[in-house]
Parts: sequence; C-alpha cells; structure tokens
Amino acid sequence: MSEKKHRVSRRQFLTYTLTGVGGFMAAGMLSPMVRMALDPALEASGGSDFISVGIGEDELTGEPQRVDFNVEIVDAWHTSEQSQSAWIYKEGDEIVALSPTCTHLGCTVNWDANEDYPGNYFCPCHGGRFEKDGTNIAGTPPTRPLDIYDVEVRDGMVYLGQTNER
Amino acid sequence: MLQKVYDWVDERLDITPLWRDIADHEVPEHVNPAHHFSAFVYCFGGLTFFVVVIQILSGMFLTMYYVPDIINAYESVYYLQNDVTHGMIVRGMHHWGASLVIVMMFLHTLRVFFTGSYKKPRELNWVVGVLLFFVLLGLGFTGYLLPWDMKAYFATVVGLEIAESAPVIGGFAKTLLAGGEIIGAQTLTRFFAIHVFFLPGALLGLLGAHFFMIRKQGISGPL
Amino acid sequence: MHRGKGMKFVGDSRVPAEKKPNIPKDYSEYPGKTEAFWPNFLLREWMVGAVFLVGYLVLTVAHPAPLERVADPTDSGYIPLPDWYFLFLYQLLKYEFAAGPYTVMGAVVIPGIAFGALLLAPWLDKGSERRPLKRPIATSLMLLGFISVFFLTWESVDQHDWEAAAEQGEITDDVDMEVDESAEGYQIFESQDSCIGCHGGDMLGGSSGPNMFESDYDTEEVIEIITNGKGAMPAGQFEGSEEELETLAAFIANDGQSADGGDAEAEEDGSEEEAEEATEE
Repeated sequence: MSEKKHRVSRRQFLTYTLTGVGGFMAAGMLSPMVRMALDPALEASGGSDFISVGIGEDELTGEPQRVDFNVEIVDAWHTSEQSQSAWIYKEGDEIVALSPTCTHLGCTVNWDANEDYPGNYFCPCHGGRFEKDGTNIAGTPPTRPLDIYDVEVRDGMVYLGQTNER
Repeated sequence: MLQKVYDWVDERLDITPLWRDIADHEVPEHVNPAHHFSAFVYCFGGLTFFVVVIQILSGMFLTMYYVPDIINAYESVYYLQNDVTHGMIVRGMHHWGASLVIVMMFLHTLRVFFTGSYKKPRELNWVVGVLLFFVLLGLGFTGYLLPWDMKAYFATVVGLEIAESAPVIGGFAKTLLAGGEIIGAQTLTRFFAIHVFFLPGALLGLLGAHFFMIRKQGISGPL
Repeated sequence: MHRGKGMKFVGDSRVPAEKKPNIPKDYSEYPGKTEAFWPNFLLREWMVGAVFLVGYLVLTVAHPAPLERVADPTDSGYIPLPDWYFLFLYQLLKYEFAAGPYTVMGAVVIPGIAFGALLLAPWLDKGSERRPLKRPIATSLMLLGFISVFFLTWESVDQHDWEAAAEQGEITDDVDMEVDESAEGYQIFESQDSCIGCHGGDMLGGSSGPNMFESDYDTEEVIEIITNGKGAMPAGQFEGSEEELETLAAFIANDGQSADGGDAEAEEDGSEEEAEEATEE
C-alpha cells in the first residue's frame, strides 16, 4: 500500500475529532438519563417475602383447601394490598401450595368444582382441568401445570413466598 | 453497505443538498476563540442552545416518573430522586440546567447588546431573542411548582400574587394561571401543561426562527 | 443546471434524476475571513461545549437538586423565596415606592418599562455605530439596568435568613416526633388551654406557636420561657403548681418523652430505629 492512501486530510482529521467530541457530549448527556429510564428493567427483582396465610401446618390434610391472604404490593411510590389465594394440601410430610391461576388464560381454578370431574382442579372459563398435584390434563386447554408457591413453615404456621413456573 | 443505503435514499429524495448546505456554509473567523481568545463571548449563544437541548432531553426522561397531581407529585419526585438509579443526577441536570440556561442567555444578550449586533438588519432577530428570554423565564417559573414541595408551593403563591397586582387584568390573569381561586390541584396540572407542552412548543418555534435568521443574515461582523 | 424541456425525474416524482455535482457555494466575496461550518467551526464550538458539560456534570453530582418537604398550604409561617432569577423582582416589591398602594409600579410599570425597552432596543438605538463607547446612552442604560438587577438580587440574598429557610423546609422525620401521650407531662399539657391554643394539641406547632420539640432547650430554660414568655409568647400563661410546671418543662426538654428516662431513653430510641431500618433492608 502506498503512503498516499493512508494520508488523512486536514478536513477528515477535523471531522473525526468533531464526531469524537460530539460522541463524548452525547454520551455525557444521555448516559445518566438512559440509565434512569432503564432502572426498572435493571433492578434485581428481590425475591418476595414469605407471608403468613393464617393456617397452621396441622390443619392441612390431603384434600386441597383454599386459603386467602393479602400481599402488600409496593409499586414505586404507591403501596397497595392485593388479595391472593392458594390451594394447599399435604402430600406425606411435604406441603404443596398451588396458585389458582389457570395457565391457559388466567381464570381462577376451583378444586372439585365440577361434578363430572371429581378430584380435579376445574377452570370454568374453558373447561381446563388439572390433577391434584397441579399437572395439566392432556386434552384440555392448559399446556403447562399450575404455578407452585415457595412454602415455609415457621412455628407451625404456613408461610408462602413467590410463585414459580414448573 | 452504508454508502449504498445512503445512495438509495439520496436517489429518491435528493437529500445531499440539504445537509451540504448546512455543513458547507461559511462562518466568519472572528467568532472562533481559536483565532482570537476574546471571541469566547460568541460561544454563549451556542451554550444556551446546548443547555436547552439538555433541558429538553432530561425533561423528557423525568416525565417517565413524574405525576402532575397534588397527591402523587411530591411522592413521585421523592421516589425518582432517592430510589431510582441516577434519578438524582437527571433531576440535578434539569434543576441546574434551569439556572445555567438563564445565566448563559443573560451573557448572550449582553454580548449581542454590547457588540451592537441587534442593529439593522438584525432587529427582528433581536425581538425573537427577547421573546425567547421571556419563554425561558416562564419555563423557570412554571417548572418551579412541579415538585410540589414547600418552596415550590409558596414561591408560586408569591408569583401569582404579583400577577394579581397588575391593573385590570390582574385578577383574571391569576385565575387563568391558577385554574381557580385556590392554588391547588388545578394549578399544578395547568403549570405542568404549560411547562411541558405550551412553552416548549413556543420555544422550539422561536428557536427555529432565531436560527433561520442567523443563517440567512450571517453573524455580525467584527467591531 | 438543466432547466425546462427534457428534464428527467426519478419515476413520476419531482426529484431530478440528474445529480448536480456538489460544489460549495462561492463564499470568497463574503466580508471578512471565513471558515467552514463543518468541521472547523463546529469543532471549536463543541470543544467549548464538552468542557462546559464536564463542569455541568460535576456541579450536578456535587450538589443534588434540593427537595423540601411536601407542600403544606396551611403552614402560614413559611417564608417563601422565588428562584434566584426572579429575586430582583421580588426585592423590588419590598421598597416603599413599589409596595402597598404602589405595587402596580413595582409589579408592572418598572419591569414593563425595562423589558419593553429591551424588546424595542433596535428602534430606541437606531444609529449605525456598533461600538459600545460610541453610543454612550444605550451603553449606560444597559449598564444601569444590569447594575440594578445585580444590586436587587444581591440585597435580596443578603436580607434573606438562609438558616431559617434551610430549616423550615427540611423533610422532618415523623418518627422522631412521636409524643409519649401517657407521660405525666403530656397530661399537664393537655390541661393548659393557652398552650394548646398556639402550639396545637399534639405539641407540634399550630396557628402561631412553633413545634415545641424543634428547639433545643434544657428544663430550666423551658421553665424560664413558660414563665417569662419569649418573642410573641406572652408571660405567665401557665396555670398550675410549680411541680407541674417542672414536670411539663422536663417533658418538653426531653422531646416529648417521659422525663425519667432522660437522655438514655432517647439513645435507646435511636438504636431501636436503627435496628428497625436494618431489618427492613
């Protein structure tokens, strides 16, 4: 390659410097702003706290029972209470708490609600059904099992954490 | 690749003359501080525009969090200031920018005045500039209320009382600005609308006129 | 440039198909020496801008934007202050010739003349001379305006009680203001109508009296103030025995906690709060 090809004209040099300075200014201006806008997306979602649902471990049976409890939702500067529910039963020593939200389109499922399907969770919206352990029954609309809560027992009382997909 | 995309667009829309016109136009050497250091006084106008750009950008980002409502306004400002990463910096940029833009504009006005640059043929540009001055003062005044803290509220009370003391239209002007008899919910939404839509609209229009005239007439010659 | 018949366009659009060679306009006859806007001029301009931006960001990081407590329209004791660039107008309205019956002068006439003159400057100063020294009237009027704005702003800043201003707007921590309502001192306070009248039933300040716990007096000083009055507070308002007065004073001096615990209790409170904060995190 000849030297000529490498020569940068004065005008080109100035243009490069200019875009460099311009880039610096844009970065200096925009980086704090963009970081602020991205904050909700970058914020590590702290695992939600465990909440007492007001039922003792010894009150649970093999039959799923519905518990309702309130969760405090902190939405930036706004705090509100949201009521949630869960279907809880005991499988041997293990406590299973299932979210009642149907994985099809988000209706609320009920245990043993339909006479035709005893021993199933039944969703009234589109007739979706789940086994007792939350597994979706093939041939009905839902495509994955019910979400499951993290469960903890403290002093004999049941505490529920966040829901997890299976 | 990029060149091909450019050529494709250029063939259809003939955009080259548009930017070449701006890029190649000549600027007198006497305003360049690299030639005469005293020419730095000619930078104030550009810096005013730079701060205006920062104000517009930071303001756009601040409205992602801000709520113009007397119950939530303070809460949302407090949240963005203390809980949002870099929220303090962005709010700080907007806060200090409001002061800096006034300082820069003031210096720019003094430069134009003392170099006699407002004289024929540039009278109209001077008038537009003074209108810009008023718009920026108005932006400062309306923006001051938005955080809805003690300082904001009482400064606005005083400001509106001054407006009220004007003869004949005073009471009307105050009610119009405050949106009612008391300074409260309606005042805040009004000031928000004025601060975010009306005055910036006027600002952009006037700035366009200002720049158009500078481009058309060129910068005034050396003294 | 090709004009008229035979001109070719891109499709049926109005964009000419023939590209003109890009020759910059001829600026050689412009008055004075010139240089190109891009990149020569803009580079200098942006370098100044970059230096400015660094200073700006340093300022922003070093001094966060202030935020006072949430607006409370009922707090009539607050001394307002506009943003600094309106201070000159604010100060102008303090002078006799521009206040009271003459507010119109200060609020409308004087600023109106000043800004009107600024707006109409090109027609007030019509001569073709541009050097400041060659047009003494315009220059001196501008200097006069500049000096008066500067002076008024200066006076306003000088007359303002900045410490009080910083204090009155502070975000107060309500937790610290928890009054121990079971304490004996509080019972005594409740029985004193004249105290409640000004300082409010919760002792946190009211129509004309300040928050009792914001000041930092010891028991003796509080007794002194209650018996002899202070500022706008009249003397001898307390109705009750010496003992009760002492209990009440101790209660107030102890920031609304029962007197027995003394400072030890206050410290305990502090550590409890810290513990609470720690668990919240």
